[in-house]
This record gives sequence, C-alpha cells and structure tokens, in this order.
Amino acid sequence: MPFEELPHQADVRVRVTADSCDALFAEAARAMFSIMYVACEEGGIERRVSVSAPDMPQMMVDFLSELLFIAEVERVVFSSFEVTVKGTALEAVARGEAFDPDRHRGGMEIKGVSYSGLRIFRDGEEFCSEILFDV
Amino acid sequence: MLAGIERIDEVEWEVPIGYVPGMRVPGRFFLSEDLSETLEAGAVQQLANVAVLPGIVRYSLAMPDIHSGYGFPIGGVAAFEQETGVISPGGVGYDINCGVRLIATPLTPDDITNPRALIEALFTTVPTGVGAESEMRISPHDLEEIMVEGVDWAVAAGYGTEKDAAHCEEGGKMPDAHVAPVSKKACQRGMPQAGTLGSGNHFLEIQTVDAVYDNEAAQTFGLSAGQVCFMIHCGSRGLGHQICTDHLRTLESATRRYGIEIPDRQLACAPLHSPEGEAYFGAMAAAANYAWVNRQVITHQVRTVLNRMYGIDYEEMPLVYDVAHNVAKMERHTTDKGRQTLCVHRKGATRAFGPGCPEVPQDYRAVGQPVIIPGSMGSASYVLHGTTTAMEKTFGSTCHGAGRVMSRTKAKKATPGSEVRKELLKQGIIVRATSDASIAEEAPDAYKESYKVVDVVRRAGLSLPVVRLRPIGVIKG
Repeated sequence: MPFEELPHQADVRVRVTADSCDALFAEAARAMFSIMYVACEEGGIERRVSVSAPDMPQMMVDFLSELLFIAEVERVVFSSFEVTVKGTALEAVARGEAFDPDRHRGGMEIKGVSYSGLRIFRDGEEFCSEILFDV
Repeated sequence: MLAGIERIDEVEWEVPIGYVPGMRVPGRFFLSEDLSETLEAGAVQQLANVAVLPGIVRYSLAMPDIHSGYGFPIGGVAAFEQETGVISPGGVGYDINCGVRLIATPLTPDDITNPRALIEALFTTVPTGVGAESEMRISPHDLEEIMVEGVDWAVAAGYGTEKDAAHCEEGGKMPDAHVAPVSKKACQRGMPQAGTLGSGNHFLEIQTVDAVYDNEAAQTFGLSAGQVCFMIHCGSRGLGHQICTDHLRTLESATRRYGIEIPDRQLACAPLHSPEGEAYFGAMAAAANYAWVNRQVITHQVRTVLNRMYGIDYEEMPLVYDVAHNVAKMERHTTDKGRQTLCVHRKGATRAFGPGCPEVPQDYRAVGQPVIIPGSMGSASYVLHGTTTAMEKTFGSTCHGAGRVMSRTKAKKATPGSEVRKELLKQGIIVRATSDASIAEEAPDAYKESYKVVDVVRRAGLSLPVVRLRPIGVIKG
C-alpha cells in the first residue's frame, strides 16, 4: 500500500511513500483521487501539468490543487500520473477518464490541500510525505 | 484535562501565555468535564498558535465543539484590531461561509403521509454529492452579481421571498465583496455549482420541533411544537475552495514579506490594511455572498417540492434564519479600549449576537439572534438565541455543531453504512445518500452528542436554547 490514512478526527490525513521523489508526487495524486472517487480506472484522457514553486511543500500543494481544479472543471477522474521533479519545479502527465456519476460518485469531496503538518522527508531509502486534505 | 490548562470556572478553561512560544494573549475555551476526554492536544496547540498572530484582542477562543482543524482549530474564534491586526484564510477555511439555515413550514409529521416520496423528490431536485452540477444556468455576469449582491440577487431572480434576506446574517450580503481578486479559476468552479449541496458533512434534513424550551422566543422565531422544518447545511462550493487556495499562496509569501512569525504555514496572514489582506477580504466576502445564494437556491428547490406535493404557498415557508460558521467579518465590539471595529474570524463557530444588537433583524431584536446548531444524522439539532454574555465573553460567538470524535476512516470501519441506515430507520429517521460510505462516515457515533455541546454553551451563557429539532429524514451528499 503506497499510502495509508493517519488518524485525524475531522479531515483526511495520509502518509505517502515511494522509492523516488517523482513517484512520491505521483502517489500523492493517486491518494487524493482515491479519496474523492470510488473507482478510478485509466481512460483515454490525458492532461499535462507544470508547477514551479519556492519550495517542495508549496510544490505539493500547487500540484495537487491544480489537479483538483482540472478534475472539477473538466469533470475528469484521474488515476495514473507520471511526474518528473527538477528542483522545485515539476512536469506531470495525468491520465484518467470522464466523470461518470454511476461509477465514480460516493467518495469524499476534497475542498483543499492544507499546509498544516505538510511534510516531505526521507525515511532511509524511502521518500515520504504527510498531507492533510480538508474534506 | 490536559496538562498546562487552567480552570477558570465550571465550563471555562485557560491556555496560559507560554503554552506555545510567542503567544500575545491567553487562549480560552469552553468545555464540560464530561466532554474533556474528547479534547485533542493538537486542537489546544492550534488554539494557542492563533494567539501568536499580531493584533489579536483579549483571547484566542474556542467553543465546546473544538477539534483539530488546520490553522485555527474547528470551533475557533479570534478578533483582530484594524490597525495592528491581520486576516488569515486559516481562520476561515476552504469552505468560506459554510453555514446553516432553517426553513419553517405549516406542516406536521402527520401531513407527511409518504415520507419516502418526499425524500426522493428532494433528493432528485437538490443536486448532491461529488461532481453534482446545478440545473441553474448562470452567465459570467450573473456570477459577478451573485458575488456582489448575495441573497438580493437570488430574490430578484425569483429564488426567494422578499423577507428572506432580512433573516440572513449580514442580510445575506457582505458589503465589502470585491470580484477583482476572485480568480478566473474560482469563477470557472463556481459557475456550475450554484444550488448544489456538496458532500461530506453537508446535508438537507427534514426535522420536527419536539421540545420547546423558551415559548416566547420560539413564538418570536415562528416555531412551535410538532412543526416540520427543513435544515440546509452547505457552503461556497468550489468557488470558495479555490479562493482560499489562491489567496493562501499569496498570503504565504506576504507573511514573510511583512516579517510576521507564524507557527503553522496554514496561518499565513497579512495586515488587514495591506493590499494582500484587502484582496483576500474582498474575495472571501464575494465567496460568502455566493454561499448565501447557494443556500437560497436550495431553499427555493425545497419550497418548490413542498409547494408541488402539499400545495403550500412559498410565503408560508419562511426562512427562520441563516448563519455563517466559516467567515471573517468586520464587527463593532466593546473592548478595554471602548467600542472598536474588529475583524472577527469564526472557523466552525456561530455568531450569537444578543438582544438589542442592531445587527439582529428588527423582528428578533428583543430576543437576540437565532443560533442554529445542527446535530449529527441521528441526534437532535437546536435553535438557541444569542446573549449579552456572548457579546462580553466571545465577541458574540457560540458553537456551530456537535463536533467530531471519530475519524471518517474509523467510522467507516466501525459500522457499515447500510447498518447505520437500518439503525436510524428503527428510530424513525430515513437516510438517503449518494453512497453507503458517506452514511458510515457521518454516523451518529462519530460525533459528540449535540445536547452535551449545547449544554456547555447554555451553562457558559453564550446562547440559550429555544427549541429542539428531531430529524425524520436526512439527505447526505
């Protein structure tokens, strides 16, 4: 399980782990969409996202917030992500399918990606992040 | 009680200066012994963190539904001086002007001979859940007017009665709204969502008044025993979420530029009179106005269903009141310096202005502002009224709900949604939701018992009970 839910009474806090920084951002996005939608399957829709930020936590917030925006406005459910991180900038390709209420509805709407307790760190060989989503 | 916290009286506690470094004022919160075991250390730390912000007046406060949030704790209240104070999206939240309103009807439970049919009609009429879009089509120009005019726009467009605006906090319109600092992205999200409920803890409930505690106040608010009412809980949807996201980023860098030390990045803030602070305040007010319109359009959807099914005239379904519980507003309060205009942040807290306040509608002024406290799916909701004590102690504020005691994940594991639904049905409560998972997350056991929270604000004198409302039907997003 590349991400796990951590205890939080009101919102959803997750810990994401990966074997590279690129994969960490991809897994964080996957975690976010798993919370929002019941079923996420790869489809024919592809979107490119570029983010540049002053630091890594800001880059995480900006990346996930941009995906939230695209998903809501274009009504797309993303399920897989290829991310390339260079310093505090990233390029990503997100793939997914059109939102279908009958299949996707039933998850939790995420209102925002919080800075509170947002951590990105190394644990031995692993890259880790803890993220709090407001739901 | 947690170590380091001092008792002030029966239900009032102090978090002394020094609990976290840099506190300018002490923290104060309201909690009974009974509820003290639900208090999280993280929530107290967040309460203390707020006391670090510049220009904070008297105390960093929290109501008895206190629990961990981000930035401010949920249940948090803080007031800031105009000249030296700051404004922070962390004190408002992503769901700007998330709030609750109550609609009265002439119906009694006996009139609802087929409650399932009513609930199905409401469920199909009010868009709910993730990805739900409104059937209402608004133009970019309409959206701008919604953000400036609030409920007045909705009434003029045929979504309300002439009396509705007067029974909303702020008259359903914050006058300081500015559309210029609302991004194109925020508008894109807001366009299709006006008149949608959302998901999570948002709901539409059919309730009946099953206890009256204050006959005179109940009569003033147009409430009586056995009456069927409708409660709506939702906010500013994606428009508000995007405004919070956009301005947090701006304020994050502004915090550093103005040399403000904060213990949590989510408390990013700027001086009230800085360009960044004013931009956020204007955009936040625009989102607040959008949220009032959102609840007003849902009110119209509910009235339309009731008119069709029971032949009730729209005027016979008055709005009792509408309160905001995630907002920052400029308000006049009495402090050690006399009468001052303060920027009062309420993050999961309700305004509870007392008798005689000019902000309270004329027809309620002798009693005080109605305060609407929703319970969880299975527990009662309450209408209270504001008090002079609240004006003196909490900048006219009280609790906003029951407050969670169990995480959503734990709640889902504890009892499947289908079981929760069956259990509630045994109690005479029909639940309709987009999924069983959303029912499980909002199970009654996941919340403090609402009567215990209400009892704390009663004992503290922050607001006084008027009626209790028992749910008979619940629609969850």
